[in-house]
Amino acid sequence: MIKRSPPKWADRFLEWYCNPSRLEAIQGDVYELYHRSAKVRSKRIANFLFIWNVFRFFRWSNIKRSKTSSPATYMMYRNYFTVFKRGFVKQKGYSFLNISGLAIGISCFLLISLYIKDEYSFDRMHSKADRIYRIHEIFQSEGVGERSASQPFPVAQALLNDHPSQILKAVRVFNFQAPTLALSTIDNKKEFNESRLFFADSAFFELFDFPLLEGDPSDALAKPLSIVITESMARKYFDNEDPMGKFLRFQGRQNLLVTGVLKDIPANTHFQFDFLVSFQTLIPETYNEVVPERWHWYWNPCWTYLLLKDQEAARQVQASMSAFVQKYFSELVRNDVSMELMPLTDIHLKSRMDYEIQPNGSLTTIYVFASIAFFVLLIACINFINLSTARAAKRAKEVGMRKTLGGQKFQLVGQFLFESILLCFLSVLIAVIVVGFALPFFNTFAEKNIEITVLLEPFYLGLLTLLPLGVGFLSGIYPAFVLSSFRPITALKSLGSQEKGSGFRKALVVVQFTLSIILLIGTGVAIDQLEMLQNSDTGFARENVVMIPVSRTPIAKNYLSLRNEFLRNPNALSVTAVEEIVGAKHQVGNFLIERMEVSKPLPRLTIRHDFIKTFDIPLVAGRDYSEDIHTDDSLALLVNETFVRQMGWKSNEDAIGKKFDNRADRMIVGVVKDFNFASRHQPIHPLVLKLNTQDQAFEVFIKYMAVRITGKDTPTTLEWLEQQWKAQMPGWPFQYFFLENDLEKLYKAENKMSKITFIFSGLSIFVACLGLFGLSTYTAEQRKKEMSIRKVLGSSDSEIFLLFSKHFFKLIVIANVIAFPLAYIVMKRWLATFAYQVNIDFKLFVLAGSAAIAIAFVTIAYQAMRTANNNPADVLKSE
Amino acid sequence: MKGTNLGELEELILLTVGILYKEAYGVAVMDEIEKQTGRSLNISAVHAVLQRLEEKGLATSKMSEPTGERGGRRKRIFFLTASGKKALAEANELRNQLFNQIPKVALGSLKFEV
Repeated sequence: MIKRSPPKWADRFLEWYCNPSRLEAIQGDVYELYHRSAKVRSKRIANFLFIWNVFRFFRWSNIKRSKTSSPATYMMYRNYFTVFKRGFVKQKGYSFLNISGLAIGISCFLLISLYIKDEYSFDRMHSKADRIYRIHEIFQSEGVGERSASQPFPVAQALLNDHPSQILKAVRVFNFQAPTLALSTIDNKKEFNESRLFFADSAFFELFDFPLLEGDPSDALAKPLSIVITESMARKYFDNEDPMGKFLRFQGRQNLLVTGVLKDIPANTHFQFDFLVSFQTLIPETYNEVVPERWHWYWNPCWTYLLLKDQEAARQVQASMSAFVQKYFSELVRNDVSMELMPLTDIHLKSRMDYEIQPNGSLTTIYVFASIAFFVLLIACINFINLSTARAAKRAKEVGMRKTLGGQKFQLVGQFLFESILLCFLSVLIAVIVVGFALPFFNTFAEKNIEITVLLEPFYLGLLTLLPLGVGFLSGIYPAFVLSSFRPITALKSLGSQEKGSGFRKALVVVQFTLSIILLIGTGVAIDQLEMLQNSDTGFARENVVMIPVSRTPIAKNYLSLRNEFLRNPNALSVTAVEEIVGAKHQVGNFLIERMEVSKPLPRLTIRHDFIKTFDIPLVAGRDYSEDIHTDDSLALLVNETFVRQMGWKSNEDAIGKKFDNRADRMIVGVVKDFNFASRHQPIHPLVLKLNTQDQAFEVFIKYMAVRITGKDTPTTLEWLEQQWKAQMPGWPFQYFFLENDLEKLYKAENKMSKITFIFSGLSIFVACLGLFGLSTYTAEQRKKEMSIRKVLGSSDSEIFLLFSKHFFKLIVIANVIAFPLAYIVMKRWLATFAYQVNIDFKLFVLAGSAAIAIAFVTIAYQAMRTANNNPADVLKSE
Repeated sequence: MKGTNLGELEELILLTVGILYKEAYGVAVMDEIEKQTGRSLNISAVHAVLQRLEEKGLATSKMSEPTGERGGRRKRIFFLTASGKKALAEANELRNQLFNQIPKVALGSLKFEV
């Protein structure tokens, strides 16, 4: 009869949820019913009915109520808080160390995250940002050529014609690729060379949401000869008057009507400007839409932005790009050209094309910073764990008491977690205040404009709440478990077994120092690499070269006389003119050399006579261009060594006499030594130095005059140059810069990165040392008795000192051993992204390692001394 | 107790508790109701009502002796309290009063002797 029993699981379920006072009767009833139904029905139905009843009984009034009542838990937390406060005040030193270490770690983390967030926010302020793309042109043959961010003039319209449903709008931005353009007020009272002046199609404001303070975005750029200016520019040219309806004179020739005033362009866009002139102004003088010319589909100066319908349209357009190229580009180039769409929001971090409007940020830098941020935070957290665990032993008595009075393990864990999280909240608070003070400095340093209010954004509020919770939890869980596992008897007897967990603590210290040493080494290598990039020989003269922008000025007629006047000054060694800033940028041209079937794109610099003399570039074969040979500018060519190599010619001398353009009278006349005509991020490519003495060259090709001076009496020499300039070019402002200053900008990104890395590695070592200091103080106290006994038994002071220090030294040495290979691997990988790599100097490792050891030594020395000088009598008295 | 309005089911179960004097526990009440009225209630519903009646003070309960057939578990036996009996009597009286006021015409062919 008792053979059958109801399903056990349902039964247990009932026993679990049911209120004990009612369980007996309810269970009895369901059992009775079960047996009854088991007699007359099948077992399965009986089981089913049983389960059914058990579930039907699952009502609110039958369910167990929790044992703890609210007022009790509230009291408990108040007690925790009181204990925490007392502990905090009693051990001010430790608490201070703990909190400051964590606060520093968190502030570093916050600062870096602000930086990264700002970098990611570029160009996202436009409402249509996710549908805006820029189209790039890659013009290369055998890996040589250009990857250009800009397109030929007609591309925009052709794209619109071919893809009307997918491309909604196209906007071209153009500035003659000139470094500056001259602008003045009508009365010529104020004239400046503006570097941020651009021409833009009228649809510009339909793509980009830059707000207009005055003027109507829909037609501000519609008519030719209109200009839109920013408010700062309005103040610069018009003081406090309203600029609307007034005129500005462009290049001394065209009067532009001000049709709009823009709010100043924010820092987080990839493209900042002060002036926008309507594109129609260029037609037909600069670009005649109606009459096609050969260069229309060759010269690619227009940055072209497209508003697409959606992502799908982007895919379709991209897929049809190769057909597009074949259709429109000339035979000469169409096999070497390909086009790519790049989303607007990717430009700042991912675009590494030639001819960017302004230098972009870099994703690598962001990754590096992010890793540093995590490292520092990790080190700070480890500190926290270590210090908390170390202090734990002091609270052994308290733990013992609590356990004796009935505290359960999870309650204790709860208490210590609560304390840890509270400490973290305090740290976060301090960290936020620190960030508040440090932000202005950080902004100047990182060249950003981050506001403190960013921290109030929901993302950050969430982060600032989760961070202490997360960090507090993770950092607190280990100590909490260690503490709560103390056995009351041993705890109360205060045998102070600090050996518990000391192995883990040591491991943590090793990790901290390993990370710090890696950071130090990394910084050292980065600084080395930067040094090398900036200062090593680039193969041409960089010092004492004065660059004068001349494009779009009427220099053509006056070039020769100006040059002669310049040279009359004994401090001016040589004068020439060149297409781009040597060492920073170059152009590309198509050349048909010797046995090539079709012409190929090759890097080119257009120059005037005396180029290699001015820049001190040695000639290795043949001859330089000569003013005496008038045919040089069309029948002769100068190339570099890499060019010879790539052509596969046997020697530099072999190159002399090789024909180009398929004409017998055109030939290469000289070969120059390789020099870094582009930044050292890339290896040296083949180069053609093309002489162009025509006046029109100054319209497009030649942008700078270069004067090499002796470096003596530089200010007077510069005055002389200015005087001559003003004499020959009245009404045109004289502007110049030194080549070496400009070239530094090439490595801006690396520069910034190395500075920031340096500071943060310093901070991380500091935090690690805070931890080490705390730990050593603690160990000193713990081992007081041991040391005293040793002293009594005859050890000398210095022996004690060594014994104490050895304990920690071992750890630092281990950290070094681990850090070296790791740092080496990581650095090698980073260096691989550069074409020119510095050799990783082993001295650096030794330096970093010793620095770490030295700093650690200083940190523990204080405690070691104290221990060694302890009077054993005092210590052992209290035994 | 003024204001203790008996629900329909509550009254039914309370009556059954009265009928099953000294034997009134969950299963028994359920069986009796089925026998007398043909309504098959779920055991949990019966328990719920019994608890409510106890909370309202119309019934009281005691644990019985352990019985072999329920694995040694005791039964919770319910009894009518004084107020329970009173509530039943009042409800009954009220119903009769109202029924008697219905005009013969409305009742039609139904002939009832009260």
